[in-house]
Amino acid sequence: MTDYHLEVVEPEDNVATALREVDAGETVTVAVGEETVTVDVLEDIAFGHKLAIEPIPAGETVRKYGKSIGNATEDIDPGEWVHVHNVESNYGRGDLAEKGATA
Amino acid sequence: MSEFLGYERADGSVGIRNHVVILSTAPYANDTVQRAADIVDDAIPLTHPLGRCQTKPDVFQTYRTLLGYATHPNTYGAVVVAHAGEIVDGDELAADVADTGRPSASVNIHREKGVMNALDATVDAAQEMVQDASAQRRVPADMSELIFGINCATSDTTSGLCQHKATAGAVWRLIDDHGGRGVFAETPEFFGGEHDLADRAVSDEVREKILDRVEYWDERLQATGYDVRGAQPTPDNMDGGLTTIEEKSLGALVKSGSGPIQDLIDYSEKIPADPGMYIMDTPGHGAESVTGIGAGGAHFMVISTGQGHTLSNAVMPTIKITGNPHSRERVPEETDVDVSEALVGDRDVEWATDQLWNEVTDVADGKQTLSEVLGESQFAIHRIGPST
Repeated sequence: MTDYHLEVVEPEDNVATALREVDAGETVTVAVGEETVTVDVLEDIAFGHKLAIEPIPAGETVRKYGKSIGNATEDIDPGEWVHVHNVESNYGRGDLAEKGATA
Repeated sequence: MSEFLGYERADGSVGIRNHVVILSTAPYANDTVQRAADIVDDAIPLTHPLGRCQTKPDVFQTYRTLLGYATHPNTYGAVVVAHAGEIVDGDELAADVADTGRPSASVNIHREKGVMNALDATVDAAQEMVQDASAQRRVPADMSELIFGINCATSDTTSGLCQHKATAGAVWRLIDDHGGRGVFAETPEFFGGEHDLADRAVSDEVREKILDRVEYWDERLQATGYDVRGAQPTPDNMDGGLTTIEEKSLGALVKSGSGPIQDLIDYSEKIPADPGMYIMDTPGHGAESVTGIGAGGAHFMVISTGQGHTLSNAVMPTIKITGNPHSRERVPEETDVDVSEALVGDRDVEWATDQLWNEVTDVADGKQTLSEVLGESQFAIHRIGPST
């Protein structure tokens, strides 16, 4: 059954936002546009946090609202927690500015 | 024609409050301002650390902000308190206030020969203004007069999914149905969504202005040599699930809806007279962006919060809305509107918009917001360059 407490904003997104506490070991089905995707949850996801709904290789774009919210810094499996430990921003990167590596 | 009950001003504006403000032009007048406001019931103190040893862009910005509050539609009159001869000139400020037809007074600590005399003069002037203001009556006014400010506060992932949609619904109801104006701000919180936003501009000139300002902020942040994460998003944003400034921005922009953008104006600049939606260029720092929008003349502000917030303004009432079912527990005494049933329950965005709209029209007619009742307010003028 589709769990509407897991929200995927646009069909091209590769993350879902948890609108309830989600536990590792759950199997959840989320609505992605007209389709559904079923994911085995690998980690506890706190209210408001995100989980991957498809594999996101290191360096790839993490998409929400149909747009980039940054790049994966490591390979992310479906069902993994997606947050500051595995995603980096492309804006305000003074730490990279000297190398000319910002977006 | 829809109406609200407001206070007519000589300059043609209509306020939803009838405040007397006491302002300092420099930090060395702050204590006199605060003491006078402690004595005079209903007078609002506006103090800050600026107005001295500043370079010209900051002098203009400080002056414009103070003048914005002294001549705000919700302001009846103003007492300006200066320390000595200052680069932000108290007499000039008081004269500019008087030009709008508002009662004004200028007090100078050196000229009065001391803080006790200055306190006496400030209390005298403010007392008379407060009593005169209390005799003014609200009269019916057209809702097209109203300027609806919007701002985020401690955003989380619920913001863009729920409460910002209700905020957008309400602000565009004022613009589309009543011919009013709206304004939002926080330019660094356009990062990642700036192209879609710029495409909403009414002209190529405004479009370029939006993209240029976003680039300017990104360059300014890069010049620090550090990753902006921690400043944007903030630790409380990240606790709420927001991972990057892009994610925060894409959510933040939901509150502006999808309608046309008339113009982008500078920090504290007066919001133009034509109906529609405007952007004010401010940092994402809430107290600074809200202070700028207040100086621009917004009558009230909806603060759309994720995790809950105390962000408030004494002159421009702030209505706090949340859609996170947990945030009302964190700041219960300042959460005016809770629409979380539209996020995790059976209600829809239209219902949430109606809840907010009803609160907005009540507040315009005089209902006090929760933060007004508590006397909460933060006043923080954005600084551009160094002190000298």
